[in-house]
Amino acid sequence: MSEFKQAIVRAYEQLFVKTWSPMMGAIMIAFFCILLETWYRPWGIVGGLRNWADWFFYGIGVYEDAPPHPLYFSSSVLNIGFIWGAFIAACLAKQFAIRIPPTLEFIKAIVSGILMGIGSALAMGCNIGGFFVALHNLAASGFLMMIGLVIGVRLGLSYLFWELEHLPCGGGKEIGFPKINPLLGILALVGLIVATYAYFHSDLDNGEILGGCLIITAGIGFAMHRSRLCIVNALREPFMSGMAEMGKAVSVAIILGAIGVAILKYQEIRPEMMYVTPTFGIGALLGGFIFGLGMVVAGGCGSGSLWRVAEGQLKLWVVAIVFGLTNSVIRYLFAEYDVIENGYLGKAIYMPDYLGYGGTLFLITIVMVLWYIIIDWNEETNKFVMEL
Amino acid sequence: MSDIKIAPDDIKPDETLDCKGLSCPMPLLKTKKAIQKLSSGQILEVLGTDPGSKNDIPSWCERAGHEFLGIKEDQGFTRFYIKKG
Repeated sequence: MSEFKQAIVRAYEQLFVKTWSPMMGAIMIAFFCILLETWYRPWGIVGGLRNWADWFFYGIGVYEDAPPHPLYFSSSVLNIGFIWGAFIAACLAKQFAIRIPPTLEFIKAIVSGILMGIGSALAMGCNIGGFFVALHNLAASGFLMMIGLVIGVRLGLSYLFWELEHLPCGGGKEIGFPKINPLLGILALVGLIVATYAYFHSDLDNGEILGGCLIITAGIGFAMHRSRLCIVNALREPFMSGMAEMGKAVSVAIILGAIGVAILKYQEIRPEMMYVTPTFGIGALLGGFIFGLGMVVAGGCGSGSLWRVAEGQLKLWVVAIVFGLTNSVIRYLFAEYDVIENGYLGKAIYMPDYLGYGGTLFLITIVMVLWYIIIDWNEETNKFVMEL
Repeated sequence: MSDIKIAPDDIKPDETLDCKGLSCPMPLLKTKKAIQKLSSGQILEVLGTDPGSKNDIPSWCERAGHEFLGIKEDQGFTRFYIKKG
């Protein structure tokens, strides 16, 4: 019996305490992304943040029309599920604590949140909706945003290097309660199951849909926190430390997700143009650049910021709030001037219309494999690593 | 993922770097900078609260040719010890 008990303890440690490898996380996330899109819709972050920010502006009387109820609106429910899942993961690993950074970090959080809000408005999605899930959905704008992100990340890193020389700071702290962490985690897990049942048995027309969205994105949040999967890290480390592990994992997740969604779209289970936004042009490229710049300074992308919110990093709370508010304002202005309808951001390009499904999957695979090889080569040679 | 190494009790750092409250990538970036100022064989102590550092710092040490001596858990933060290679 004692050996069986040990096996249980080992299983618990492996699943809930030890950090998963990024590759394990990436494969799980691709799996959950395909499940979510099969269930109802693609994954996204910024739509939910904007919904919450819209409520704020509606509440203070700036917007006239009431936004959709956050509990009945799928974009918002996705974020609730994501944060919930990441919170469960953080608590079970005893990693939830209120972490208070030095003042400079709060200033960086505000500035980077504004940049991320602008960037994600231009690209009509953050690094998830505009890049990661856009490529899953075979949208050409995903590639353009990737180029913009890389350039923005590289420039943002130059700023961080400059800051290191000129703005020394220290003196943050952590308020932790590791002893009650597992209890919080178990309570949150029970709460998640109750909430999912509540959706399924509610009178809402879309109750079942929302319940599925909630628990599937909780899976994404859980897997993302366990593996600390981070797209900023994937794009930044080749320039900063040379490490390629995260980048390789993300490239594999993009290929796997694209295969899954290609099947859904080919079989007409989901509309072809789902998540193919009219941003192939200045929107994705410039949006990616501005967002990339912001996310390096923030230390978290759309998804990375939210799982760090769930871990108790106060800097990322500020990032997420300012990011949502800014995105809401810019999208409001876009609507006033019909920016999206007039095609100022670019065209909606669905790659299979030009390359066929086979050709599109081939192109995505080639680009991702090429990225994989380049960062692996860079890990050996340090070609792109910036000197401090 | 392998278990993280625990530092021996009698370690004496030459320099201490405070990264408490900072999140990714600042702890690693500051560590990278601080270690440049040490000479080979000297020991850097990093105080941190970001759970990510427990992966980043050891794997970066291995890559950059420094010896990761281990961690010590303190009240509300972790101490990391790195011997410059």
